[in-house]
Amino acid sequence: MVLRTEAWRRHGVIVAILGLLCFVPLLVHNPYLLHLFILSMLYAMLAGSWNLINGYAGIFTFGHQAFFGLGAYASALLAMHAGLSPWITLWFAGCVAALAGLAIGLPVLRIRSVAHVAIVTLAFAVIVQAVVANLPDFTRGTLGLAGIPSFTAFALPGIGIVSFGAGDQVAYYYVALVFLALSMAFMIWLVSGRTGLALKAIRDAEEAADSLGVDPTRYKLIAFVASSFVAGVAGAYYAHYLHILTPDSAIGVSIMVTILVMTLVGGIGTTIGPLVGAFVVTFGLEAMRGLGDYRLMVYGLLLVLFVTFAPNGLAQLRRARPQRHRGEAQGPKPPPKK
Amino acid sequence: MLTQLVIAQIVNGIVVGSMYALFASGLTLIWGTMKMLNFAHGEFFMLAGYLVYFCYAVLSIDPALATVIAVVVVFLLGVVVERTVIHHLLSRPVWQFTTIIATLGTSIILQNLALHLWGPEFQNVPYFVEGMLNLFGIRIAYQRLLILGVSCASIMALWFILKHTRLGLALRATAQDADAAQLYGVNILSIYTLTFGLSAALAALAAAMLAPITAVNPYMGLSPLLKGFVVVILGGLGSFGGAIVGGVLLGVVESLGVLFSSTEWSDVIAFTFLVLVIWIRPWGLFGVEERS
Repeated sequence: MVLRTEAWRRHGVIVAILGLLCFVPLLVHNPYLLHLFILSMLYAMLAGSWNLINGYAGIFTFGHQAFFGLGAYASALLAMHAGLSPWITLWFAGCVAALAGLAIGLPVLRIRSVAHVAIVTLAFAVIVQAVVANLPDFTRGTLGLAGIPSFTAFALPGIGIVSFGAGDQVAYYYVALVFLALSMAFMIWLVSGRTGLALKAIRDAEEAADSLGVDPTRYKLIAFVASSFVAGVAGAYYAHYLHILTPDSAIGVSIMVTILVMTLVGGIGTTIGPLVGAFVVTFGLEAMRGLGDYRLMVYGLLLVLFVTFAPNGLAQLRRARPQRHRGEAQGPKPPPKK
Repeated sequence: MLTQLVIAQIVNGIVVGSMYALFASGLTLIWGTMKMLNFAHGEFFMLAGYLVYFCYAVLSIDPALATVIAVVVVFLLGVVVERTVIHHLLSRPVWQFTTIIATLGTSIILQNLALHLWGPEFQNVPYFVEGMLNLFGIRIAYQRLLILGVSCASIMALWFILKHTRLGLALRATAQDADAAQLYGVNILSIYTLTFGLSAALAALAAAMLAPITAVNPYMGLSPLLKGFVVVILGGLGSFGGAIVGGVLLGVVESLGVLFSSTEWSDVIAFTFLVLVIWIRPWGLFGVEERS
């Protein structure tokens, strides 16, 4: 993975955050806190992949949970029935999700309307969830898939055997960190290279980009497939980490809402936004445990408040920038308020 | 016997479909005028369900009056939501995306508020009218006939408002070209507020009618919202007639589907059909092809 030095400098903060995350298990020994860190990293990966389609390609999709869930179920079922190691099924899961991304990307990219794209991607996720829930012989339906194998142990020179039993949360932590770092590097490489330039050009002025020889469909499809792949791998990790999957927990709309909240809080269309957002929202919600049932309402409030007062998220606070997300506006624009 | 069953299911489908049509015409009205999707539409439906439950089932207020109360209160709530959450977003250049998020946030807030206030239990609402009509061996509950009558009447009323009143004229003008409408003296910001309230009221009316059939709970808004989306996309977003035909069509297809396959697959069939329609005719069955 070749990263230009300029790109390294621009993403110094991300590298610093990932570097700091390396030391967390040395200081934090509370299993529950480590679990929260692992969840944050998993969601950072997932929100980051969604941000690739939404923040960079400018296509508002509302069905990202489908790719996460497909990856989770594909990896779990392969590991359980074919007896393959999760280290192998993980990549199959990514490919299954990427294929699904290609399949849904093709019809979606023909549509220009924000509303249609949102509904069709949501419909796709509902289909995936319903199919998984309605195949009890295969997926155990709404009862959920239990007994998903852990990652298999391997030997690491200098450290010894790394195993993934019940008490080995630190091992899971570092695997999540490696996946997060890989996915961040992959996405930074993608958006700071030719593809990223093309995507931004398409997002900001599709006709102009098209006329200059940038094929919008091709680059949008690349973004769609890459994003689905990362989401699928994240889903596979989730399956082998929690060992249990239900259609609701792995493919439910609540995952999409969480992704949306995190990306919006962190800053849409920035590489660092989803990373910061995932940690802020996960730990913030945990800090509000005292609120009990009201915690979910906080999600709703966050969505309304951020979209109204800080549409570019926390990243906006670092430096003022013009609004970056461009929906393909159609029809009349309401005039400015008097 | 089978024919009777099929006919009964078709009648049932038309009844339920007419409610989908009412619910979806609110969604399509908002899209047509404000060019936005309302993810909180299902929560207006849910709140109206609770209002009817409290007024009619708990306080024993006359069902007609309970319906009117629910519709008026939800209309006002719609106006308040539009003024506080949506209004200022509409003056920004990328409101199609931000309004989806804002209405989604509103929906989460309202749903959890209901869950917190009234709990997750299903609350049953008795039928407004008892008894069955027996027509050539086909039995139809009077409640279902009432639903059909109310939805036909309100759809005609809505059509009349849109085509034959100054308000309807202003609404259609705003939908067609907001800038031009404003130049001709239409206060489009008030039109947006009114449209939003009217749309919420349509959801409320559908909820009041359906409450005795489906029972009331905090999550009751999700299913009609998803179906409403299918209906408006099938019918063509922004097309009033499309929402009505699409609604009845979906209702009948679903009711007949129950005869031939298990109910769990009905959603899968509906949404797959939607994705296929989008692939072939992105502008829906009755919508006008938008410039691309």
